[in-house]
Amino acid sequence: MSERDPDAELLEQVGRQDPAAVRSLVSRKLPRLLALATRMLGDRMEAEDVAQEVFVRIWKQASRWREGEAKFDTWIHRVALNLCYDRLRGRREEPHGEMPEEIDPAALPEAGLEARAQDQRVRDALAALPPRQREALVLNYYQEMSNIDAAALMGITVDALESLLARARRNLRAQLAGSGLSKDKS
Amino acid sequence: MTPERFHQIVEAYGAEPRRWPQAERAAAQAWARAHRAEAEPLLAQAAGIDAWLAADKVEPPAAALLERVLDAAPVRQAAPRRRWWWSGAAVAGVGLLGGVAGAFAVSFFVLTGAAQQVPPMHESSYLTSSYGGSSTDWSDE
Repeated sequence: MSERDPDAELLEQVGRQDPAAVRSLVSRKLPRLLALATRMLGDRMEAEDVAQEVFVRIWKQASRWREGEAKFDTWIHRVALNLCYDRLRGRREEPHGEMPEEIDPAALPEAGLEARAQDQRVRDALAALPPRQREALVLNYYQEMSNIDAAALMGITVDALESLLARARRNLRAQLAGSGLSKDKS
Repeated sequence: MTPERFHQIVEAYGAEPRRWPQAERAAAQAWARAHRAEAEPLLAQAAGIDAWLAADKVEPPAAALLERVLDAAPVRQAAPRRRWWWSGAAVAGVGLLGGVAGAFAVSFFVLTGAAQQVPPMHESSYLTSSYGGSSTDWSDE
């Protein structure tokens, strides 16, 4: 690895239990992990539990962390994704999700009704994607990981990542058009 | 950059060039400028999905979650222990000093008890007046 891990210095300070470094790491990574878990699970409370659990592992690992094999950010994403998949399996989620029913605007509070309905549609459409497509899209689009980092994290080639991303977008487009998911569910 | 590759890039990464693979970004942008009629409908379609995805916002962490995460951090657990350790050391230090002072006092009084065997600081002659008779013989004067 030619470039230094951007989190390495901060992590060394966390390993020395520097309070300012601990707070800095939390403010840097907690929103990112929470967003990842929220989009993967579609459930805020579960996502908070996952983010908290990732930090428990970070605190255990910080003093022993050594640069080299993987970037710290990649490692915490892997830990978070594993925890998300554990929970998804726990829900006995079908590997090929079904599209949610249409949101009934009458069932939502009046304030911000349209915006809430839109948010809910996006969240539901993401939740309905096959997990690997959702993972690829969340990592690349929302977490803004490079294609190389996202592919490495998922243990696939960049070509395979691009294939997942293209299929995810096709499925979302079909959902936007109101025709449900396309038949491509792998 | 081939037309097929440009299609693949936009279908996978969307319409925003900043999301395209770094190694191919400049070539893909150049291709789009040179082939507007073919590129623009594709980019417009991808931009619709991008906008839809961008509409999804995740609320920032609540203060309670932040607290829970920080409470589990090693620094929060170590701090009270360290203070306790220091206060324990202070108590031990004070105890040690007390012991040394006590030992010193005991040895001092032991020594002063022994010193009572030597002549007192004030001789009895100094305590008597000249009228009380002196032991000095002045008869020769």
